[in-house]
Amino acid sequence: MEQIIITIALWFGLYTIVTLSLNLEYGFAGIPNFGRALAVLMGAVAVGGIVNRILIFAFGLSGDIIVASGQARTLANELIASNPVYGIGLFILCLAIAAILGAITGALFILPSAKLSEDYLAITLLAISEVAFMVCNYNTAIIGGYYGVSIPDVLAFVPGEKRMVVFTVITVLIALFVYLFIERLTHSPYGRLLKAMRENEDIVEAYGKNVMMLRIKTASIGAAIASLSGALYSLYSVNVIATSFSRVEWTFYPFLMILLGGVGNNRGVVVGTLTFVTAKILLTMYKHEITDFLHLPFEAVWLEYMMFGVLMYLILLYRPEGLLREKPIFTEPIKKVIGRKVKAAE
Amino acid sequence: MKADYILKTQNLSKFFDGLKALNGVNIGVEKNKLTLVIGPNGSGKTTLINTISGFYKADEGKVIFEGKDITNLPPHEISRLGVVRTFQIPQPLKKLTVLENLLVAPENYGENVFESFGKNWLKKEEEYVEKAFRILEFLGIDHLWDREAYKLSGGQLKLLEVGRALMKDAKLVITDEPIAGVNPVLSHDILSRFTELKMRGVSFLIVEHRLDIILQYVDYIYVMAAGEVIAQGREEEILSNRKVVEVYLGAEGGKS
Repeated sequence: MEQIIITIALWFGLYTIVTLSLNLEYGFAGIPNFGRALAVLMGAVAVGGIVNRILIFAFGLSGDIIVASGQARTLANELIASNPVYGIGLFILCLAIAAILGAITGALFILPSAKLSEDYLAITLLAISEVAFMVCNYNTAIIGGYYGVSIPDVLAFVPGEKRMVVFTVITVLIALFVYLFIERLTHSPYGRLLKAMRENEDIVEAYGKNVMMLRIKTASIGAAIASLSGALYSLYSVNVIATSFSRVEWTFYPFLMILLGGVGNNRGVVVGTLTFVTAKILLTMYKHEITDFLHLPFEAVWLEYMMFGVLMYLILLYRPEGLLREKPIFTEPIKKVIGRKVKAAE
Repeated sequence: MKADYILKTQNLSKFFDGLKALNGVNIGVEKNKLTLVIGPNGSGKTTLINTISGFYKADEGKVIFEGKDITNLPPHEISRLGVVRTFQIPQPLKKLTVLENLLVAPENYGENVFESFGKNWLKKEEEYVEKAFRILEFLGIDHLWDREAYKLSGGQLKLLEVGRALMKDAKLVITDEPIAGVNPVLSHDILSRFTELKMRGVSFLIVEHRLDIILQYVDYIYVMAAGEVIAQGREEEILSNRKVVEVYLGAEGGKS
């Protein structure tokens, strides 16, 4: 039971970071980023490809990254076990590089497509993401391709049985920080402008705002945040394998979560993510029981895609606004003026 | 006295697959004046506005604003020079409230990602909110301030469109049928407001069909037909121009 709760909390944390970033782009700015998996993959590339190479260089190792990363892990784990500062430092370095790489790729890949209309943009981003996925999967020089690479355990100083709990707590705390960051970011004229851009680009353009720049900036911030999740996942599993970053897991599921929770409502997105993650993990954990109970001739997990497809259909049909409806943005000055008006009316 | 023009077009042309939507149009908007463009449907009035404000790329000719060539600049850059425009069909930001619709108009530091975390924008935003309420009160839709725009009626949307244009301190306001679908009393109010702004140094370029109401506020008129300016002058010159009566009133007159 405890195990289930921790697993749910961990995935809730990882996915919340992704869904909140996607909500900033899609829910607020109206950028249908069907390439979300790309940003998450970049987080893994930052850890498995860049930080690993720094370590390999620092330890004076040689050989291809697949083998050398294993040796680097052994050496790094010894260091971290002896002094936690190394682990914490490495952890922060990984997140920082992931965010920077994410921000750059986010801005870069939306550049050629930022002028496209919504549906073409979605398809282009999906295609770019798929290409990056294929390249990382088949080119073993980047992050070991389908062989994968090893990652040092930044929590090597924590006793084995406590490791997952500690990592989960850190992940959830980072997700909370991301939530507060995005809430603050969007409760401002910037958030309002993003929504305005989503509603009508021409108007925003006619009033002197550079829509192209706005899209690039927003996609960059979104990708930087989503990359954190990829880095955290890699650090958690002490392995990176490109196949873990499929479009289903990191693009379609996050979209489903924000549709379920409420597009354009950060709190709703958190609720949607929690609901979805809980359902998904329970389904995986109790697959045998469900299979027996329903007398299915195959494992219940196989129903996953179908069930989530039906779920999406039901949401769009019966509750397109999601669990929690989008709310107008009340900035501090608006509240102040309204407060004065209410007082004057009394 | 030589006229002082804030905006001029020189031989401005726009073609759609060979159709000459604008064919060598020369117009000028005098500073602190209200200039009206009239003409039958399909005469190129809206195309003219779209080309001036940068939404369409001109095929030939130039647009000069305050002596500067602004031909084919992106819309947001033209807007930043002090030109604001409204659209013929109201373009509300549907899921935003009436107040938010207005607040999107002016320049606001808080729209910058990094500034939005600071405090610099708070004071300015407060002023904008106050200003937005004054405009909403003037238009008589202040009670709707927290209603999403998609819930508004057609007439209210028209007012919202005008309100948004008033939010921005523009040098030149270009409006496409600002009083179409608005009741006569309020139409006069809006146009008096324009006249007031005119005194304070704002120039207007307006496309409008409802001549009965607007004519008394107008300083200069251009008449367009089939992508060309066929006549120009003051009210009395235009109304006595046979060509205009034939082309414009002849085509439209039967209806009203």
